[in-house]
This record gives sequence, structure tokens and C-alpha cells, in this order.
Amino acid sequence: MVAYESPGLVNDIELITRVVAGDAAAERELYETYVDRIYRLAFRLSGDDEMARDYTQATFIRAFEKIGSFRGESSLSTWLHSIGMSVTLNGLRKTKRQRSREAPIEEGSTAAFARAEAEPDLKERLARAIDSLADKYRTVFVMHDVEGYTHEEISGTLNIPVGTSKSHLFQARNKLRVLLADFAPEWVS
Amino acid sequence: MTEDKFESFLKKTAQDYNTPPARVPRDEMWAAIQAKRSAGPRVVYGGGATYVVSQRRFGTKVWLGAAAAAMLLVATGVGIGRWTAAPGGQPGVSPLPVNGQTPTGSDANPSAVTGSPSTTAGRQPAAASRQSNAVATAKPNASRSSAPGVDRNPAAVASTGLPAGRSSRADQLAAVQHLSEAEALLTSFRTRSNTDQQMDAQLGKWARQLLSNTRLLLDSPIADDPQRRPLLEDLELVLVQIVQLSPGSTPQDRDLIEKTLQQDHVMTRLRTAIPAGAQRGS
Repeated sequence: MVAYESPGLVNDIELITRVVAGDAAAERELYETYVDRIYRLAFRLSGDDEMARDYTQATFIRAFEKIGSFRGESSLSTWLHSIGMSVTLNGLRKTKRQRSREAPIEEGSTAAFARAEAEPDLKERLARAIDSLADKYRTVFVMHDVEGYTHEEISGTLNIPVGTSKSHLFQARNKLRVLLADFAPEWVS
Repeated sequence: MTEDKFESFLKKTAQDYNTPPARVPRDEMWAAIQAKRSAGPRVVYGGGATYVVSQRRFGTKVWLGAAAAAMLLVATGVGIGRWTAAPGGQPGVSPLPVNGQTPTGSDANPSAVTGSPSTTAGRQPAAASRQSNAVATAKPNASRSSAPGVDRNPAAVASTGLPAGRSSRADQLAAVQHLSEAEALLTSFRTRSNTDQQMDAQLGKWARQLLSNTRLLLDSPIADDPQRRPLLEDLELVLVQIVQLSPGSTPQDRDLIEKTLQQDHVMTRLRTAIPAGAQRGS
């Protein structure tokens, strides 16, 4: 899990000022500061390097276009992540690319897990279960439990109330618990 | 208690979900971002983007439409040519005087081709060789328009060197159309702005289409001509170079193509191989 770090408000303002002034080095600095997190999140959600690259690039292109309109109402990191998530989620919706391990699992259903005995691998089962979650649950789950974002950060990035973020995480975990019921001994023990 | 254990188990196990590569491709993505930004709308900080005003005479659709039409025509011509070519090697119609004005040895002395009306017929290569400077700056149509009739001379047909039995009229038409198109592309390439990367991208697409046609022609009876084959091969090389020009290519990359064009006298040989009036659809 990667810690969520921001260079701080003062650094943000200074960096933005330099970028807006046309400082190419500042653009690169901004990119270097945030690219790993944006790319990692895009990869976690898409599961595909090419798509993750596309989304990351689009994120920064859009950010550089709009950075002059950044008002500092949130941190630069949150603002950038907000763009990144918008690009990624829209991209995923548009492409409708089915990942190989995606199974036609009905939300909240254990129907697809009738194959559990034939495919006992826990990680594979978990991956399928996460894939089967509704987008809003999967996004919050990946951000919180996989990438380590706080509910406040998720709230700012996805533009949803903190309570909603917590609720989505709760729902996601509940569904996963049902879907992974076969593996209960793994966590009970 | 069980709840906590499940959360802990979930967080731990979920770390393997869509695990990103250890190395983030920072440099590659940065290069792509820079290329897209330079090729796309110009960034204006302040919340908007303004589009670079195009200085090209024709829009993308016009270029691509023309290229697609030319490609279709060439492919159709080659197809008809192959279809109509007699198995015994005797075409039903006499070949066009495509290469009629090409003087012997023009490959070795490209300047002996165009530049003045007296030399365009290809009858006085020695005199033409003194016009090298004029050739270098001659407009594409200058040579062709100055010698209307010469190419229609049946006697010139014999000097084309084309294997009469293998190259049909349709093949000839296809070849002429293709070479005209290639000349137009190369002229556009040489006259474009060094900083117009959008134009480079369009030329790349156009070159890609012409490249496939060039290879098609190289595999056809058209390439049996001892003068035309080297021309098509050189053209193929230049087209490959243009296709490979990335949006972020340096002026040195473009200079390399320019040198190839000059060293191999591709433009001159192309113009020599195109008969008068070919671009008017004759």
C-alpha cells in the first residue's frame, strides 16, 4: 500500500504559478510528483498497461490545459486525481473492454461461484469478485483498501460525501464477503 | 472480531488485484504527452485551449480524400491490369508511352530531364545536363506542360523499355497515377513548414497509403522495367522514412529524408517518369 502524499499547499501554489508562467521544468516537476499515483490507480482500475498509459497521459494533458482555472479549493493532488478518475472511469465505460478474467457475475449473487471448487485459487477468485462489483463500489474499494486513500481523499476525488464513500466501501466489502464465503476459513483462522 | 479479520484479510489479499508494474513508464508517457500537446490544441493557461490556425491550403479531409481516391484508382488499375493481361504475354492494347520522354541514362544524370522546354522531350540530354540548377527549383508541372505531344508519339513507346508483353495499359495508367501521387506527396513534404507537426502526421498517413501501392507495383509487371524498378525501390525507401517520422521528430530526421531525395534524384526521376498531361487524367 502506498502512502498518499502531497507536497503541501505552499509547494502546490508555487508549482502552479511556475506552470502557468510557462516554466517547462515546472510542468515536468508537477508530472513527476503525481504521475506514479495517477498511473497506479488507472492501472488498478483498468488492469491494462496500455489503457493506464492512455488515461494517465490524458489526465496530464487535460490538467495542463486547465491548470490556469485551478482555484485552490482543494489540494493540487486531489484536483489532479479528480481529473484522473474522471478520465479513467469515462474511458472504461467507453471502451467496454472485457478483461479476460471478467465473468458474468450478477451483483450480489453467488451464482458464478458455483465454479469455486473447480477454480480454487483465492487471488483469482478475489479478482473476479472485485471485477463483479458495481463501478461505484469497486472504485471506492480499490482506492481505499488497495491503494490506501482515505475517505476524505476519496470524497474529494470522486466528488461524493465522505459518508457515501464509507457506505460504498461497506457495501463492497459485504458483497465480497458473500462472494468469497467459500474461503471463510482463510480469514477466520 | 471476525469483521476485523475479514477486512485485514481482504486488504492483504487485494494487493494482488491488477498489480501495476514496478516501474512506471514515466519517460515514455511524458514523451507521448509532449507529442500530443504539440500536435493538438495549443495550451492556453487560464482554463481554455485555443486551436492553432491552420496555414495549410487544404484541410485534413481533403488530403485524406485525395489520397484515398488515388489509392483506389491505383489498386483498381493494377487489378484490371493483371486481370486483362493475356496469359501469353500479349496485352490487348498497346502500352501507354509512360516513360517516353525519359532520356537514356537519366538516372545517372537526373538533371538531364526538365527545366526548359527544349529538354523536356528528352531528346537532348547533354544540353539538359547544363540546366541542373533550374531543375532543382523547377515546379512539378513545368516539365510536363512544356512538351505536350511528345509522349503521344508512338515511337516513344519503343523507348520506354517496358516489356510490351507484360505491362498492360491499365498497369501503365496505374503506375502513372501512382507516380504522380508520389510526386505530389514529396513536393508537399519538401515545401511544408519544419514546425508543422500536424502536417507531418498527415503526410505520414498519405505516405503509408502510397507505400502499400509502391510495394504492390514492385510486385507487378510494371517493375519489370529496368528504369522503373530502381525508381520504385528508391521511392519505397523515402516513403518508409516519411512514414516513420514521428510527431516529435527532429529537423535532422527530416534533413535525412531530404538528403535521400537529393542524392537519389528521386524527384527528377519521378517527373521524368510521368508523361505530359498525366495529372490531367489523360
